[in-house]
Amino acid sequence: MPSNPVEVYINELIMLYSLTYSEAKDQASALFAFDVDQPLIQQYTEYMGQLLRGNLGTSLRSPGTPVLDIIKTFLPWTIFSVGVGLLLSFTLGVFLGMIMAYKRDAWWEAILSGLASMLSSIPSYIIGIVLLVFLGVYWELIPIHLMRGSHSPGVQIGFTVEFIKDIFYHASLPIATYVLATIGTWILSMKSSTMSTLGEDYVTVARARGLPESRITTAYVGRNAMLPLVTQLLISIGFIVGGSILIESIFVYQGIGFRLLESLNTRDYPLMQGIFLIITISVVVANLLADFVYGWFDPRVRVAGGD
Amino acid sequence: MQTMNSTSQQNQTPPLSIRNLWVEYSVERGLVKAVRGINLDLRPEESLALIGESGCGKTTLALSLIRLLVKAATITQGTITYRRDGQELDILSLNSRELRRFRWRECAMVFQSALNAFNPVLRIRDQIYDTARAHGVTSREETHQRALELLEHVQLDPKRVINAYPHELSGGMRQRVLLAMSLLLDPQVLILDEPTTALDILTQRTIIDLLRRLKAELGFSMMFISHDLATAAELADRVATMYAGNIVELGSVADIFYHPTHPYTLGLIRAVPTVTGDFEELASIPGSPPDLIDPPSGCKFHPRCTYATERCRVEEPKLEPVLGIGHTVACFHHDLVEQDTESLAKNHSHTTRKNTL
Amino acid sequence: MAELTRSTQPKPLQWLADFGRSIGRFLRLMSRNKTGFLGFLMFVGFLLLALVGPLLIPEETSADITAIYETPSRAHILGTDSQGKDIWSQIVHGGRDIIQMALLTGALSTFVGITLGALSAVIGGRFDATLTTAADVWLTIPRFPLLAVLATLIKLDNLMTLALLLAFLSWAGLYRSIRAQVFSLKERDYVEAAVALDLGLGHIIFQEILPNMMSYIAISFTFGMTSAIYAQVGLVFLGLVPLSRNWGVMINLAWTQGAIFFKDSIYFIMAPVAAIALFQLSVVWMSRSLEEIFNPRLRTG
Repeated sequence: MPSNPVEVYINELIMLYSLTYSEAKDQASALFAFDVDQPLIQQYTEYMGQLLRGNLGTSLRSPGTPVLDIIKTFLPWTIFSVGVGLLLSFTLGVFLGMIMAYKRDAWWEAILSGLASMLSSIPSYIIGIVLLVFLGVYWELIPIHLMRGSHSPGVQIGFTVEFIKDIFYHASLPIATYVLATIGTWILSMKSSTMSTLGEDYVTVARARGLPESRITTAYVGRNAMLPLVTQLLISIGFIVGGSILIESIFVYQGIGFRLLESLNTRDYPLMQGIFLIITISVVVANLLADFVYGWFDPRVRVAGGD
Repeated sequence: MQTMNSTSQQNQTPPLSIRNLWVEYSVERGLVKAVRGINLDLRPEESLALIGESGCGKTTLALSLIRLLVKAATITQGTITYRRDGQELDILSLNSRELRRFRWRECAMVFQSALNAFNPVLRIRDQIYDTARAHGVTSREETHQRALELLEHVQLDPKRVINAYPHELSGGMRQRVLLAMSLLLDPQVLILDEPTTALDILTQRTIIDLLRRLKAELGFSMMFISHDLATAAELADRVATMYAGNIVELGSVADIFYHPTHPYTLGLIRAVPTVTGDFEELASIPGSPPDLIDPPSGCKFHPRCTYATERCRVEEPKLEPVLGIGHTVACFHHDLVEQDTESLAKNHSHTTRKNTL
Repeated sequence: MAELTRSTQPKPLQWLADFGRSIGRFLRLMSRNKTGFLGFLMFVGFLLLALVGPLLIPEETSADITAIYETPSRAHILGTDSQGKDIWSQIVHGGRDIIQMALLTGALSTFVGITLGALSAVIGGRFDATLTTAADVWLTIPRFPLLAVLATLIKLDNLMTLALLLAFLSWAGLYRSIRAQVFSLKERDYVEAAVALDLGLGHIIFQEILPNMMSYIAISFTFGMTSAIYAQVGLVFLGLVPLSRNWGVMINLAWTQGAIFFKDSIYFIMAPVAAIALFQLSVVWMSRSLEEIFNPRLRTG
């Protein structure tokens, strides 16, 4: 594929409308109002300058539409699906992992561990495809055609119950994929963390103090076992967001990943750069939040005096 | 050294009685017989020391008293009876709810080295409150007040410590907080596992003085485990020497230290150097502790004993009374040991054991 | 001068016997961990499939429109695709790219990670500080989108280029973990002794530190492989990399040609999917065995 957006457009015109090359080229030049011959460095410095002013440029393929606007339309859907997915996966995983640590000798524990380990090894998009193929096509359990897109046309956008139900409906498969792809890691990490916490002195002392098992499980074992996982959680955000480009394409879910793919295919550079920048910034913000939130959980790392 | 207080103590019923206790651990190689038929009474307001090498079963014994053994351990025989205000409790038959109520409130166990004894994510006050609430004390005010009192008792700055997180306190401070917390519910029995081992010498001194004072003021019975004879000499009223899961000698602290009648006890005492002592008198006990999965026949100490005879190889001695009030020993040749002790004592010009502190 | 005793066996056979013995030992070590051994067998199976398979099974180039999307039968073990081509032969031929790339990238990224990580930990100072900050920054950049963007800017039709690019992009993670491990080993007595004896940087790294990190290195290698598979298949699936004839391409074709949405064509989409999933699993499981081999403390019994 040529790496010039103009050429891409020309090719498309030729294929779609059976134009000759020169006809297509004329049309394209009229459309694209920038000078592709300008040296790359100059283009880049100009871009940076614009960036500092908060201007991410305008999309090449949707002329006149600022990149920022496009991002604002698509980003919330990704945040929604990834956020819900991670939250669900983490909560379920931590819960299951802790139970499994307590019930180490049960017959089903080894099976679940094996399953968790398998799930965590398989790439997320493979899980997505399997879900799509089996649930949607082979066994026809889920009406996948209706589930394309982030929300149904005709449903009013707003904080109505109907809308909220609708967006969950459309996001259910991507969310399910995120959950299945990541829950294995949480289960296994929490299980191992809980097992080592159970061996700590303060748990034995807590029992000697006559504390009820429920209190020990939540405040003494649970909180301490979860600590190392909190950092893992926030680091994994970057990875999940990175995978969204694949998952959203599989399920035709219009989030930022989906839009990124489109911009890649059309060589819409300003949009590409803009989306990539936003993704990176979100990951950085998430990591900074990680340090902050971890301090809230673990008093040992708080700066003296701060609380 | 405490002098034994009169017959009034002996007339009162002991708060804790152990009869024929057997505890086994199940390991890959077989069954470890960690405690083999122990009989012991803890008398009211007394301080009893359990002395022995590592692996002799003293910690297992202590853990059995509050039934905090690991899953691999089973109490196969015996009874543990707890008494208070004329009522008796069979500890081994308590259900989990009763056991929870018994722990800490009646009998508190303070573990070795409080370095990791506290939940790192909770403040001290929350952990104290946890303990109180678990035993039915719901008034935060009341608990807070009592906690402040106790923290002062252990010579800590109450306001500062109570709001602190465990990692903000030093090891010695944490040990003292744990001590204070153990007395929160005014238990009748306090069990301490190596209370001074992990501490530096100055802190050891403080803790020993503290324990002495607290016991005098609050009147609890104390059983403490130690391999440090000096601590035992300072704190104990009675001393029991343990070997291979059994008590081999039991007596007042004076009798044990000045008139030991068991070869093992004698060996332990002779193995500890004094600050001013001569090294020629130092003698370590040859050999190593016995394999408790397949222990030696007869007297378990006989492979390492200089007094051992054929009888020792075949028959296991039981605790028999010897000279001295309440002094019992499990050895067929205790008279020989007595003779040797007297001659050793005559050869000394200094008699103290306490001068290490 | 003492006479050397000679072995009675002629030399080439002796060498073969030794080789056979070490293979036997290796297999025995591998078989200690059940999942690990299974993974190892699967991995070897895939290797054979990719390397030997194409020699045994002819590649189908002719399209047979009358045999579209056939279900598995004696003639076509896994059925046929949208152009009537045999799926099984496509799987056999399509594995080579992926497996080669996995091994290559795994090795490259491990090598880069180890060198940088070890050097950084041993040299310390400003070198270490700058590299660590760089790694931290690098790690926050989401890798796959970056790869996707780069794929549009650079021509990635060559396996080697892709492998290099991937290895280059994944240095930071391995660097970090190797560095942490080397740091902890650095404090050990035998390392300090080597330093005191002034045995040279190369010796310290390659003969004192690295042999004790073999389990980490093995894990890093398998991790490098799994992320390479993820990245390569992902890129191909999205149609961003013009490689021909591999499992990722098969998925991409199935997707673009709508094979996902028909019941009959399920074999076309699931065959490569299953192949990729199983290959990933085999690598992950195998790493368990490797871990146990190199970390004697984990060995049971």
